[in-house]
Amino acid sequence: MSPSSPERLRLGLQLLDRQIVDREDRIAGKVDDLELTEPGDGGAPVVTAILSGRGALAHRLGGRLGRIAEALSRRLLPQETEDGRIEWDDVVSIGSCVKVDRDRDELATATVERAVRTAFIERIPGSGKRGTDADQ
Amino acid sequence: MNPKRLAGMTLGVLTAMGGFVDIGDIVANAETGARFGMSLAWVVVFGVLGICVFAEMAGRVAAVSGRPVFDLVRERLGAKVGLANLFASFFVTFLTLIAEVAGVALALQLATDVNYLLWIPLVGILVWLLIWRVRFENMERVFGLTGLALVVMAVALWKLSPDWGDLFHQANHPAVPRGEGRPTLAYFGIALFGAAMTPYEVFFFSSGAVEERWSRRDLVLNKANVFIGFPLGGFLSLSLMGLTATVFKPRQISVDHLSQAALPTSVALGKVGLALVIVGIFAATFGAALETALSCSYTVSQYFGWQWGKRTAPRDAARFHLLVIVALLSAVLIGLTGVDPIMVTEYSIVLSAAALPLTYIPILLVANDPDYMGERVNGRLSNVAGSIYLVVLVVVSAVTIPLMIATGAGS
Repeated sequence: MSPSSPERLRLGLQLLDRQIVDREDRIAGKVDDLELTEPGDGGAPVVTAILSGRGALAHRLGGRLGRIAEALSRRLLPQETEDGRIEWDDVVSIGSCVKVDRDRDELATATVERAVRTAFIERIPGSGKRGTDADQ
Repeated sequence: MNPKRLAGMTLGVLTAMGGFVDIGDIVANAETGARFGMSLAWVVVFGVLGICVFAEMAGRVAAVSGRPVFDLVRERLGAKVGLANLFASFFVTFLTLIAEVAGVALALQLATDVNYLLWIPLVGILVWLLIWRVRFENMERVFGLTGLALVVMAVALWKLSPDWGDLFHQANHPAVPRGEGRPTLAYFGIALFGAAMTPYEVFFFSSGAVEERWSRRDLVLNKANVFIGFPLGGFLSLSLMGLTATVFKPRQISVDHLSQAALPTSVALGKVGLALVIVGIFAATFGAALETALSCSYTVSQYFGWQWGKRTAPRDAARFHLLVIVALLSAVLIGLTGVDPIMVTEYSIVLSAAALPLTYIPILLVANDPDYMGERVNGRLSNVAGSIYLVVLVVVSAVTIPLMIATGAGS
């Protein structure tokens, strides 16, 4: 499906909560929420961005748990990083996953991954190697 | 079939050994055989068919769309209900992980006479090392094939030459044995059903299909894996049930230790039989420990959309690997408290039964969605079978907890 025909997309069923992949088909977070903007002429709201990471899921979940998670992510994540928006213009295709024309390392969802990598995983020997294959 | 395709068969065999004949099935089938004879054998057959129906769908969805089961759970149930399912599935899978780690340690105790508590940390480290370093395909090949040693249980049953007519009569005319209540029988039935259809089997099977880069060309492989692998597991489970029904039931001995699951085989085949069955139990529970440790992290990572799996180096799936480590470490620590592994196993399979519908409903829905599946959507047979099972799953899930309380967990 091409993203240029958003009026025919059922957002709740076909977009929300799908897997996002980056321009190299690498896993890059979920469609946690959507940014809708009402056009100046008073027409129907249009989707202007996908929100992924930075507490977007927690915000949508709401409730006490959601609020706590949202506050935590706001406090813990450095402010200078990405705001979790992926512009609608960057959406390449929508199918069983949502492909975006971005590099996943520059998305907001990479922040925590990077922190876990440097704090824990990279300190363990062999973290940079793929699994060995006895056949080769 | 070329050798590479043939090698792909091991995914099915491993899932069957690890997912079907794991600590849950060993305990449930051994206990049930000793207590009720073969009168609950039909539940195993029914459970095998059920896991076949849904694993085939999950494997097909993974091959066609590249999406594993927990992607579907979040996408179809939505963020909120999906999160509830995540809590339930993670909890059940984590309980199973504790049970499998203890099961491997108990198999080692049988072989070495060294107390299982000493083995638990070592087992934890070994499971982690394999996940950290060894390629997915090799991991599953080794344990899938070694687990086949459990075929010795079928040989043992044949060697004991039980009254086959009587065993079949018990299986065909299910009756409540004297001195047992109907609720207790139902409770054990649910335990067998939960052990057969544990959710981690589809988490692992579908994630494994993505890890092995299945595509549409692998759909035949998917069918072969499912319809050979799981029935093989079911056959081994029934052999064990037959063994304890033959050896323990007439003597009214109840099974409450893992060593008793190995005993009938050694009665029939002596030391060689015992050695083989211990190797088989070791491989099956170790394979299942790998599967459940990975599945704990598959579910969470797939819900949140983190990079998961063993195809990339660990540094590129940092959160996934951190979660594997945390899950394993916690399982080892809980195992070390000396909590009864048999009890943990019983709770894990019965609670699995309660959590089943939330995992299997999204699979059925997405397997019918042309957005994902193109022309590979479910045929009528899959949909009819899937719908019948869903009704059963919902009923089972509704009665499980009340039954557990009413029967005092089957005691």
